[in-house]
Amino acid sequence: MNTPAQHRPMDTDQPSTRAHHFPQATSILELRSISCAYDPNRPAIRDISFSAREGEIICLLGPSGCGKTTVLRAIAGFEPVQSGEILLSGQVVSSPVKTVPTEHRRVGMVFQEYALFPHLRVADNIAFGLHHLPRAEQKRRIEEMLCLTGMEGFERRYPHELSGGQQQRVALSRALVQNPVLLLLDEPFSNLDPDMAGRMRQEVHALLRRMKTTSIMVTHDHDEAFAMADRIAVLNQGVLEQMDTPELIYHLPATRFVADFVGQADFIAGRIRQGLIHTELGTFPNTINGSEGDHVAVMIRPDDVHLVPDTSATPRIVARQFRGSENLYTVQLPSGQIVHSSESSTSVYQEGTSVELRVSATHTVLFQAEGPSRP
Amino acid sequence: MIAVRPSSLSSLQLASLTGTGLILLPLIYVITLAFSADPDIWYRLWTTRVPELLWNTISLSGAVALLALGLGVSTAWIVARFEFPGRRIWEVALVLPLAMPTYVLAYVFNYLLGFGGPVEQLWQYLAGPHARMFSPQSFLGATLVMALDTFPFIYLLTRSALLNFNVSFEEVARTCGASPLRRILSVTLPLLRPSIVAGVALVILYVVSDFGAVSLLRYQTLTYAVFQQMTGQLDNQAASILSLLLVVLALLFLLTERWFRRKSRFYQTAGRYRAPQRIHCNWLQAAGLTTSLCVIVGASFGIPVSLLIMWSLSPEALAILDARFFGFVWNSALLATLAATAAVLVGLPLAYLASRKPTWLNTGCLQAAYAGYVLPGPVAALAVLVLFLKVLPFFYGTVLVLVVAYVIHFLPAGLQSLEPSIQQITPNVEEVARTLGMSARDTMRHVTLPLIRNGVIVAWVLIFLQTMKELPATLLLRPVGFDTLAIRVWLEASEEYYQLGAPSALLIVLVGLPALALLRSRDWRAA
Repeated sequence: MNTPAQHRPMDTDQPSTRAHHFPQATSILELRSISCAYDPNRPAIRDISFSAREGEIICLLGPSGCGKTTVLRAIAGFEPVQSGEILLSGQVVSSPVKTVPTEHRRVGMVFQEYALFPHLRVADNIAFGLHHLPRAEQKRRIEEMLCLTGMEGFERRYPHELSGGQQQRVALSRALVQNPVLLLLDEPFSNLDPDMAGRMRQEVHALLRRMKTTSIMVTHDHDEAFAMADRIAVLNQGVLEQMDTPELIYHLPATRFVADFVGQADFIAGRIRQGLIHTELGTFPNTINGSEGDHVAVMIRPDDVHLVPDTSATPRIVARQFRGSENLYTVQLPSGQIVHSSESSTSVYQEGTSVELRVSATHTVLFQAEGPSRP
Repeated sequence: MIAVRPSSLSSLQLASLTGTGLILLPLIYVITLAFSADPDIWYRLWTTRVPELLWNTISLSGAVALLALGLGVSTAWIVARFEFPGRRIWEVALVLPLAMPTYVLAYVFNYLLGFGGPVEQLWQYLAGPHARMFSPQSFLGATLVMALDTFPFIYLLTRSALLNFNVSFEEVARTCGASPLRRILSVTLPLLRPSIVAGVALVILYVVSDFGAVSLLRYQTLTYAVFQQMTGQLDNQAASILSLLLVVLALLFLLTERWFRRKSRFYQTAGRYRAPQRIHCNWLQAAGLTTSLCVIVGASFGIPVSLLIMWSLSPEALAILDARFFGFVWNSALLATLAATAAVLVGLPLAYLASRKPTWLNTGCLQAAYAGYVLPGPVAALAVLVLFLKVLPFFYGTVLVLVVAYVIHFLPAGLQSLEPSIQQITPNVEEVARTLGMSARDTMRHVTLPLIRNGVIVAWVLIFLQTMKELPATLLLRPVGFDTLAIRVWLEASEEYYQLGAPSALLIVLVGLPALALLRSRDWRAA
């Protein structure tokens, strides 16, 4: 399902540096057609394949129950696989015939609720995976880790004496201090308030970059995935829908589900005539090689649509949602089709205002028409 | 924000204060009696009886706690972490010993382990004709009986802690490279510790205040000594001094239990619940587990109950199933009904006021009502007895004295189910009834009482069942010739008429079973 890289629409420098960060790196983790046994309590996953290069941060993104946590748990060795193989550093660790126990995989994991041992102090929590090392070495590693996470002075505290953000730093330290081959993060920011989550995202991202730790993070929040990931794997109902850089996922979604899940999207019905797609909002280039007369849907993001008040125009504003940094307008076309438009925070138009829509997409995403298009 | 008018509030207040007085006065009186005793009595007790009694009580508690700890934690671990045929049956079966009052188990073990009993015969068959078993009437015997009877407390607390255990702790330990043994020793057991310790404290509290088993096994503990001082020596002052000691001891363990219970709440950090994966056993492992569980449940419930049934069907036992026997049943039921009704009437205003108007007075009254927890049966009886003798001597030897002692002793068990049922209903529903034009009295009758009905019924049934099997207070305070089932069991067992006591004992065990169903996932102290 991957969209070929040459279709990349944006030419800003950031994505290209991201993509070429690890040109020749070997793959640390490889999943080959993984399927997991069906258990009524856990979503099944089917035929998932992807790999992670050294130092890469990959986000598994999807709605709850899509199987993303099952994938993570299969990598950790908590779930046996029904078919396929998982390779860590080139070694098969999971296959239908054998499962290397978690404790021998050298993976670090940060749980959603952190799972800090409540009976151990911060220093002992971090030292839990280091008991094979001499005391002095343990102490040195703990101090180094506390320093990296800005938690100096907290080593004598118990977990319940820490705030949510501090608990998370300790959980991260505990996982990273043993230099894991791979770090697994299960919805790490979902227990923090939004402000704190934003700050922790940046901190964790910087820390993982500095330590060059290959990481797999599970999340249901696309903003979080965009902020953290080198590449995002979008899962739906146990199937991998698309795996790409955040920019490609947003601008060139491979499926309607991806388009809808990673941001607001409207699907405008259109028809192919003379090599162009004709819609209510004008014509678009035919990029899916559809044949003459086919019905298709054009995906439009709110930031591609610009409103110009025009008393003679037929589209009308039916709702305005003030979001602080922007205004999100809901516009109804004469056919009843709903289109969203994001305008600057200061452009305020009354509901009922007639507006002309200007679509300025640098790229066109088309899907086969499938029933009535969703608003 | 109170849904009741000042006038009805004050009548409730009056009821709650009266109830508290009823509970506290005897207790205060027995304490004053102890402190006002002649220093000579104190001195005599301290130099003669107290050291031995304290040592006996504490060593028995310690030994029972250890044995019960082993039994309780291992059985809880087996049913919570392994999957084998019959696991669900064992989960329930392991609670059954709680239906068996200690005096019934002691009575059966007196026979089983006694001189010439089946176990000794078996042992002599195996080890030669002169081999001897340890006597049930010894430290070992008392330890075994008490541990078999109380280990379900630890089993239940440990099992529920294991079932609520956040599996992420073990999983994160695995990602840190910890071996299975290290995970158990440095993660799972430390996290279960508060629950286990709370269970142990409960067991010790039970041992310290037990009268039935130690009296039948002739093992001198403080509780037994209080009873003997009252009956044999007729020395209430010495008895009250020993009682005071006993209350202090019991209080110590009760506070320990409370403290660890609070701590255990705080150990269960929030998180998504994921059921732990049980280890699937092959048939050999399953057979091993089943055998060990069979031995434990057999010794603590299966064999005793089979023996009771066998004895009850013997001609001697069938011969006594006459009008006199049904008189005992009637006496037990009558006393239990009176006690349960009185306790619910006393407990309701206390629980209601403490929940709706938590002033220091009201919460204080409620806390005082929990004093019964640290009062072993003989002490409650002593307290009521000395007060009635002083203030209302003409009631001495009537059922009233007995009912008061029951209320003091069993009110905590009733409050355990009354309190949550009242706290569950928000005051808003009472307030909305008032805004709809209902008077305070009607609100109480049409809104509050129907909503808390189930809690009241459960409280009533629990106290009823507790009273049915109560022994020491009944023994000390009953009107002359007024025998109950529990009394019959104890009297026949003391004389070693095993068959004659069996029908009463069996009935008590059967009546105790529904209490276990009611108590599932509640506070097991009431058992």
